[in-house]
Amino acid sequence: MTIDHLAMDASPNALCFGEALPATGAPCHVGVEPTGLRIRFNGQSEELPESLVQFHDLSVSAGGLHHDHLVVTWGKEAVKRTLYVKDPAVITTFRANAPHELTRDLETVAAGVRRMRARHRMVWTAAAAAILSVGLFLWFGSDLLVDMAVSRIPIEWEQKLGETAYRDVLAQQTVIKGGPAVSAVEEMTGRLTSGLKDSPYQFEVTVVKNDAVNAFALPGGYVVVFTGLMKKAESGDEVAGVLSHELNHVLQRHGMERIVRQLGLFAALSIILGDRQGVAGLARQLSVELLTLRFSREQETEADVTGLRLLHRAKIDPDGIIRFFERLSEKDKDRIELLSTHPMSQARAARLKAESAALPKQVPEPFTFEWKTVQQSLPGS
Amino acid sequence: MRSEVLYPGAFPMVRIELGAGEQLKAESGAMVASSPTIDVESKMEGGFLGALSRKLLTGEKFFFQTLKANRGAGEVLLAPTVPGEIVIMELDGLNEYMVQKDGFLAGADTVKIESQMQSLSRGLLGGEGFFILKISGKGTLVLNSFGAIHRIDLKPDQEYIVDNSHLVAWSATTSYHIERAAAGWVASFTSGEGFVCRFRGPGVVYIQSRNPGGFGNWIRQFIPVSE
Repeated sequence: MTIDHLAMDASPNALCFGEALPATGAPCHVGVEPTGLRIRFNGQSEELPESLVQFHDLSVSAGGLHHDHLVVTWGKEAVKRTLYVKDPAVITTFRANAPHELTRDLETVAAGVRRMRARHRMVWTAAAAAILSVGLFLWFGSDLLVDMAVSRIPIEWEQKLGETAYRDVLAQQTVIKGGPAVSAVEEMTGRLTSGLKDSPYQFEVTVVKNDAVNAFALPGGYVVVFTGLMKKAESGDEVAGVLSHELNHVLQRHGMERIVRQLGLFAALSIILGDRQGVAGLARQLSVELLTLRFSREQETEADVTGLRLLHRAKIDPDGIIRFFERLSEKDKDRIELLSTHPMSQARAARLKAESAALPKQVPEPFTFEWKTVQQSLPGS
Repeated sequence: MRSEVLYPGAFPMVRIELGAGEQLKAESGAMVASSPTIDVESKMEGGFLGALSRKLLTGEKFFFQTLKANRGAGEVLLAPTVPGEIVIMELDGLNEYMVQKDGFLAGADTVKIESQMQSLSRGLLGGEGFFILKISGKGTLVLNSFGAIHRIDLKPDQEYIVDNSHLVAWSATTSYHIERAAAGWVASFTSGEGFVCRFRGPGVVYIQSRNPGGFGNWIRQFIPVSE
């Protein structure tokens, strides 16, 4: 039996709480003696005399934020005292010396705490496993999930979202209101979309005066073609090819897929990191997000393939887009905006050619416009 | 080491006098001014991994500043980023405090700071994230809050309910659990409180009179969305 007999000036090892004591507890020194606990406060005073509390007056439990304190109480009402002991040495000595009835309670409490810790560990392990499996699922099976989510988003929302971004874009660009260029693009769009039977989208195509070689589609059916692209194209088929590709991004709802994917990631991260405001801020990011949206390689491939089919159905030469991208890739590699989002790799060219060759042969129907005339009508830079 | 709060109220600073050779740690970026005898060093409390985990998990700054009176005694002025009160506490080596991630401003070198993982429900619903700072040891501890800081003293078994986003620090002798503010789920959220913490004494709970998240949401409506 180890009996703790320390000098009066022993440093405090416990906190004593009670009606007249400070809320942060009065520091005191607890010593375990054969019959009870000897409690000495720092700086003896009338209110806090040194005392020996008999074991049979005590009741024990575990407390504190992590249930790692030994809590000893005695007395009633105004003289009720609660002792919080965290020092492992004191707790061990107490367990070795206190009578069986008291330590039995303590063992029950300790077992409870151990059970709770085990439960916490289990919950954490389960949570970690859940997060891991969700992570793995998102990594490998997210396409399915994203498709499911996107299919639930009403077309009207998508249109509203796209329209906001579309207005933003147009506000910063010079829109070409009419003339041969606009009617040419309208004719292409008309022929491409006439083949679509039950598309919910009303396509709106705008030509803007901008020398960047670019064209893009926003969710909801808003397509923007830059005059720079029309100048670089050598035939209407080439522009129609790019248009068909962009229209298919809309039809396949690629924009929404990207948004859902990014939002999902942000939302999950925000929740995990405890940043609730972050989630709210995401909503406002949306329209900004739309403009900087990049499609994944899978989405580009899908738009390539479905784009070619759409061209074929509209009786437009499907090789136009291949020629256009190949020609662009040869020169001006680094300056073309369209190429930065649609790099013309060997694999992509080969795939496009194979897809095109696989389509049944047909004689393309020419457009009603003369491409050279359309190009000449474009405003100079 | 002696410290005092200057300009108590919304925009306070704390002045800490260091004896020759003494040092203190502060939130990085907290130093406003100092005597020329004091050197500022960056230190990764708890080693690189400790600092990294604190950065990633609590969002607390990666480095603490260490301010050391290398060339003789001097003083430093420290201030937090947000407007709000500063409170100086003397840790007695027995009382330990849990501090939410933005609450720590400075502490004596003998004060120990660790990241602590909370239970899953506290982490998810408490609004403090899964990790909070556990501060123990002996010496001066300086906390800051958003708005005024208010101390609630709890006797043994006394309970008190605090909106979780108003928490600054609480002693480790208290226990708390998260509960819904109102009886029903819908009422909990429509009351604007969501979740609250039910604290049980003994110990003290420091709360702040303003809710940083709420303030952020309020101010966000005035910020134009830019690209």
